[in-house]
Amino acid sequence: MLEVGRLSVSYGKHRAVEDVSLCVAKNEIVVILGANGGGKTSLLRAIAGLQPALGGASVRLSGRALAGAPAHHIVEAGLALVPEGRGIFGELTVHENLMLGAYARRARGAEAANRRRVLDLFPRLAERIKQQARTMSGGEQQMVAIGRALMSAPDFLLLDEPSLGLSPLLCSALFAALARIRDAGIGILLVEQNARRSLAIADRGYLMENARIVGEGSADSLRHDPAVQRAYLGVGGGRDH
Amino acid sequence: MLIEAALSGLILGGMYALVAMGLSLQYGVARIMNLSYGELLVAASFSAWALFTGAAVNPLAGLLAVVPAAFAASWLVYRLLLAPLVRRARTRDALEVDTILATFGLAFVVQGVMLGFFGGAYYSYGYLAVPVKILGATVAVNRLIALGVAVAIGLALYFGLTRTRAGTAVRAVAVDPESARLVAIDVRATAGFAFALGGALVAAGGVLVSMFLTFNANLGVLFTMKALIVVIMGGVGNLLGALIAGLLLGLTETFVATWVDPGLTLAATYSLFLLVLLARPQGLFGGSGR
Repeated sequence: MLEVGRLSVSYGKHRAVEDVSLCVAKNEIVVILGANGGGKTSLLRAIAGLQPALGGASVRLSGRALAGAPAHHIVEAGLALVPEGRGIFGELTVHENLMLGAYARRARGAEAANRRRVLDLFPRLAERIKQQARTMSGGEQQMVAIGRALMSAPDFLLLDEPSLGLSPLLCSALFAALARIRDAGIGILLVEQNARRSLAIADRGYLMENARIVGEGSADSLRHDPAVQRAYLGVGGGRDH
Repeated sequence: MLIEAALSGLILGGMYALVAMGLSLQYGVARIMNLSYGELLVAASFSAWALFTGAAVNPLAGLLAVVPAAFAASWLVYRLLLAPLVRRARTRDALEVDTILATFGLAFVVQGVMLGFFGGAYYSYGYLAVPVKILGATVAVNRLIALGVAVAIGLALYFGLTRTRAGTAVRAVAVDPESARLVAIDVRATAGFAFALGGALVAAGGVLVSMFLTFNANLGVLFTMKALIVVIMGGVGNLLGALIAGLLLGLTETFVATWVDPGLTLAATYSLFLLVLLARPQGLFGGSGR
């Protein structure tokens, strides 16, 4: 279980994340929906240890307290982030990116098995294994980013807008891959603009607006919530309230 | 004559390349522009001299003592002097200014200590200064050994950085420090390691150079400048570029000294540097951007 409690982030006087609490279980995809600039990226970065959270926040991974720990400890504890913009090592090859994914000590033992799983999930990467990552298409780079995160043998995977810039076809492949990752026992926390597709594979969801969580529910109930439909699913239009 | 000059140029260039690779590691990975770099080279030369004349330890055996000592000393400098600057720097530019000032000061301290011990006189010692004939050219054995050791160290570094996980992690920090944190790399520890490794390389260069060049306590700045020129010419962070640029510089200097005028070597160095900067500001092998 990944539990986040009372997490706030601020940049100077601007409060980007305000008192957010949420949880993700293993075998579960949880999506955070919300408008751009709503604090979703800051929230994920703070959970992953890239961005300091304000005092009083708690991040617990299977009961282990991680708030304030440096990013590399958090990866060792079993949480991997696929950041906005992918964050792959563009100058390095696909092989090197995956090898570095298994840099964490927790990942070394099962490296070969994890590599097989990643290449099985994204056969395209096997074909391009010696290619420099920055010369690949956006969809392939996203596969490298997710593959690299999976190489660290995470219990929980955080993804920030993974479908950004992908064609509809690649999007479908991506979300199918996420469902397979979940079925392998990994908990997924997903930030997405594409509410329709992400609710289709998610188990639960949170709504985030102006730095706060303003609603939550099962994916099913969110899909049928008129307010969610208006705001995120483009149903009914925004003019007639 | 031509072969003799080319051989001398290659040997000198090999030294430049080795020394520049270390600076490239310190700047490219640890993001420290180390202006006390050449001082460590001279300190290593003096150490090799002291070991040879005082304890009859030959410089090749001396490498085994001097290089690890330089690694440890550089690591300490990073942890005690530079890590606090890294921690407080808000931007990369701010860090650059801070580290340039700090290492500039350190250069004077190290230089002052060496002047105190050795004065301003030139030092040298004779180890295997035996001439041999290669392709009709006469070279001293110690120079050939120096080149051989430099090549071996350069190859070991290249394969270490490209073929091992730890080396790939070092390159990952150079490419993208934030993403490196996301794959559980301890960026600060890796930067300290790269800085120390750079120090070990320049110390190796100092020991090798002392086998066939005279040196004094004021020579550090010259080596810092040359290493800087080679790194910039080769493209910042590019080890292969540093190798080619180092060889190019060594050959140019030797050819100018042989056929034009030994007094013009520095002028030749800077002319070549300017030429490269005008034609390819990103360096011979630098990518686009910085």
